[in-house]
Amino acid sequence: MAILDDSIRAQVVEFFQDLAGPVRLVMFTQESNCELCPETRQLVEEIGELSDKITVEVHDYVADRARADELGIDKVPAIAVIGAEDYGVRLYGIPAGYEFTSFVHAIRSVAAGTTDLGAEVEAELAQVAEPLHLQVFVTPTCPYCPQAVVMAHQMAIASPYIRADMIEATEFPELSMKYQVMGVPRTVINEIVHIEGAAPLGMMMDRIREALQHSGEVAA
Amino acid sequence: MKMSSSFALTPLGGGEEEAAPALYDLIILGGGPAGLTAAIYAGRAALKTLVLLGTSPGGQAASTETVENFPGFPDGVGGAELARRMQEQAERFGAETVADAATAVDFSAPPFTVKTFSRTYRARSVIVATGAVPKRLGVPGEAAFWGRGISTCATCDGFFYRGKKVAVVGGGDSAVDEALVLTKYADQVFVIHRRDQLRATRIYQDRAFANPKIRFIWDTVVEEIVGDRVVTGVRLRNVKTGEQSLLDVDGVFIYIGMQPATDLFKGQLALDEWGYILTDRQRHTSVPGVFAAGDVQDYLYRQVVVAAASGAIAAMEAEKFLGEFPHPKIALEKGKEGAVC
Repeated sequence: MAILDDSIRAQVVEFFQDLAGPVRLVMFTQESNCELCPETRQLVEEIGELSDKITVEVHDYVADRARADELGIDKVPAIAVIGAEDYGVRLYGIPAGYEFTSFVHAIRSVAAGTTDLGAEVEAELAQVAEPLHLQVFVTPTCPYCPQAVVMAHQMAIASPYIRADMIEATEFPELSMKYQVMGVPRTVINEIVHIEGAAPLGMMMDRIREALQHSGEVAA
Repeated sequence: MKMSSSFALTPLGGGEEEAAPALYDLIILGGGPAGLTAAIYAGRAALKTLVLLGTSPGGQAASTETVENFPGFPDGVGGAELARRMQEQAERFGAETVADAATAVDFSAPPFTVKTFSRTYRARSVIVATGAVPKRLGVPGEAAFWGRGISTCATCDGFFYRGKKVAVVGGGDSAVDEALVLTKYADQVFVIHRRDQLRATRIYQDRAFANPKIRFIWDTVVEEIVGDRVVTGVRLRNVKTGEQSLLDVDGVFIYIGMQPATDLFKGQLALDEWGYILTDRQRHTSVPGVFAAGDVQDYLYRQVVVAAASGAIAAMEAEKFLGEFPHPKIALEKGKEGAVC
């Protein structure tokens, strides 16, 4: 049985109508110990049917470990959304509920390789010259979360040094525990800076500067 | 736990392609039904319009699962879906939308100044549609533990309290409804209410009283939220006996009503004693050229359809104001960007 009903499929087809370029959805799954891997895989495959610009690649996390390492993927289910290049856009856990929105936005942004962040922010992010890792913890029932995820993903597109993960907190409880996630969205930048809630772009940029400054101090 | 059965497209802060020009005919603060409806009307009136979507695009509507009473949707419509369509409609008529929020405003003289996290805009008129946000307790510990055991969204954060004890503060529909949501996760849910009976509708009350996980603590207020790195408890006071106590909980969910999001406008717009923006029937505020719509000026109805209608009124009045505005006519012509007075 299809995961996506006809009305959602129609909406997504329309949303994908002007996809600017090809997108590869590279999905990692695992035979056991991954409750939502089969459903995530089905979702990815159904999405792949909704535009001829999208191709789907499914790998086994255990058998294709080398490929996973290459893409920096360290847990499953995982989806790497790759366009003309690999911008570092990742989704861990099933992008269901409200996160479905984050997923289709990731596809559209990666297809174009452009962002909605505005010229100033793009210019500033283009100056980033050290690795920046944004981990956005979400739950599928959080209406405020997609905004944080989409913003992080677009930041990854804006800079080769930035990678951005959506992490579905309920599927990765040990990671949620590690970062003391007790509310979502919660964005962790380079393990050091934490942001509670869906921060507007400007506030997010402030915290990114803070993280960069911090890592600069550590380096010095 | 399977939460993956639902898939829907929800609204997001869109964003502009180029650096935005500094001067707009109209800036709308807020991307809920009031702001977006105002944007539809302003766009159709060919006003150069910018919508700052704020921190929660779609507003309260976007977090409402189903809106059953918006005309034209006999089967109901997802709140997020409805907001997404409104935003699309506004954009179709040329309104720009940006995922940013105002951090400071200057309404002392036109053109008005609106600062956001990332830039400064100017506008010849403004519609404030920033809505209402959950009221905070205003007690020690609340700010320090926000996001570390304090939440206002049980559906978002309930998962993190599996097998734990949580307190819900409040006695209205939201408090009781969210307490019921939390029983799916937590072992015990304390509902702390300042009165000796609930305000919630009967159906919620019956469900809550029947739920073995829920315990009511009546006539009691929270005086402090205590914790270490995260919340560990609440300090309580019985309003009748004055007796104080400490209740061990891992989380606190606050539902003591809504308050208008008007901090930014204090001292610039006339507010009532509860902080709502004072408007006349045409949604004029105390400053000519600044209008207010939706829950930020409505403590009575708080309905999507009422907010939308009030946004339409504000936009029509803004259009009228701009037409009458004696100042630089030239800047009213669409496409004349950055005309400075």
